[in-house]
Amino acid sequence: MTYRRALGGLGLALMALGGVLLLGQPEPWRIALWLAGAVVLHDGLIAPLVLAVAALTAAAGLRPTGAPRAALIVAGSLTAIALPPLLRPGAPSNPTVLPLDYARNWLLAMAAIALVTGAYLGIRALLRRRA
Amino acid sequence: MPFTLPPPGRPPVTFKGRLHDARTATAIGRWLGLAIVVCFATGVLSHCLQHPPHWLADRLPSRPYWGYRVTQGLHVASGTAAIPLLLAKLWTVYPRLFAWPPVRSPRHALERLSVAVLVAAGVFQLITGFLNTYQWYPWPFSFVPVHYAVAWLLLGALLLHLAVQWPRIRAHWSRSSEGTLALPAADGPDRRQLLTAIAAGVGAVTLTTVGQSVTALAPFELFAPRSPEHGLQGLPVNRTAAAAQVTEASLTGWRLTVDGPRPYLLTLAELSAMAQYEVTLPIACVEGWSKSAHWSGVRVRDLLERAGAGPRAGARVVSLEAAGAYRVMEMGREYAQDPLTLLALRLGGEPLSLDHGYPARIIAPNRPGVLQTKWVGRLEVA
Repeated sequence: MTYRRALGGLGLALMALGGVLLLGQPEPWRIALWLAGAVVLHDGLIAPLVLAVAALTAAAGLRPTGAPRAALIVAGSLTAIALPPLLRPGAPSNPTVLPLDYARNWLLAMAAIALVTGAYLGIRALLRRRA
Repeated sequence: MPFTLPPPGRPPVTFKGRLHDARTATAIGRWLGLAIVVCFATGVLSHCLQHPPHWLADRLPSRPYWGYRVTQGLHVASGTAAIPLLLAKLWTVYPRLFAWPPVRSPRHALERLSVAVLVAAGVFQLITGFLNTYQWYPWPFSFVPVHYAVAWLLLGALLLHLAVQWPRIRAHWSRSSEGTLALPAADGPDRRQLLTAIAAGVGAVTLTTVGQSVTALAPFELFAPRSPEHGLQGLPVNRTAAAAQVTEASLTGWRLTVDGPRPYLLTLAELSAMAQYEVTLPIACVEGWSKSAHWSGVRVRDLLERAGAGPRAGARVVSLEAAGAYRVMEMGREYAQDPLTLLALRLGGEPLSLDHGYPARIIAPNRPGVLQTKWVGRLEVA
């Protein structure tokens, strides 16, 4: 219990330090707006989107577990980190920043995931039929 | 006055999906917590190296020479790995957003507020840090001080969250913990599949980006903002000569000014005639990318000694760039006196290209890339 209180107290102290550092910035309310926006972005957009994908998957007759779910999770993770290079407006003036063909790479990754998942499900179905 | 609320009705939102439970949250939370702590520690380390307090500047070690490369590679890799982990963690606990009644007591309100701060700081920190590596700044504030401040806010909120949730974390720590055993047994295999899938997601984002710091994994790189295979003279560039407003014309008649008890000037030919040393050192950026390269040039400590500096002198290096936060660079004693620290004239056997800092740049071990000053015009004993 004492350790727990000390940990909580330390947490509050560090939060206060972070708050003081933020208040020292010019126009801290703009930062507060972005912090609140981060919660809205997740709770209002990303999470409902994920739930919608899960509902659609179920409606399509795929059980939202096992390999299809794993494929969606990996594809979603890769798409999330591919968004900045895909969406960043304007070409960087420095040719060594963003040197790859990100759209092609994203399509390759999605195709590879679909291929591996399809092959896995197909082989498993074949083995089950034989057994 | 006691705090009372009207009796709760039926919750407006309910979740039928499985695995939104404390065992799943604990299992993912352990990995996420580890990633955040590694990211925080390596970030604060970089902050200390880039903006050392006065008492620390001369004590910062120049070895191991690969230190900054490893820690900042880890900083960006752990932050990137935290993206799928944070999304998975938030998915697990998402139904708690719709807890009914929304507030049960003042204590419950404070708890929810602290979770809101934790989520805000976590999502904010991963988005700003990740976009920074792509040199994309859509926000109306300065990245470095705000990313630093929110790091403390995030670590604090995380520790508070651990303290608040400690009994539940402990009750669900392992598969055989008492809280885990109280959950529906049928969920066990499903949960393990989910955790394996999340681990695969973490592995996938790591493998497709980490090639920017681990050169051997460059063939797997699909989404990182830098590639060790794309760069002038085999090395990526952070700040181009054009961005620094340095041109060939502005360098005509270049002399290196060395200031100290016995000041002197050197032409490029005179510098090249001094004892040259070869070193293999990485350029390592706080944005995660790094690559090793072969440099040759004059030892900084030889230049300082010739200006009458003692064996414990540090240095101040001034670039010819027009403006920039790192135009004047302070070099602590350990770096200035390290035999690996060069005023480099050549990269990979060729003269430096303009984008790599022609005619002369600093290359020192275990230092942030922004402090490897390019287009050096002046060296002072400090």
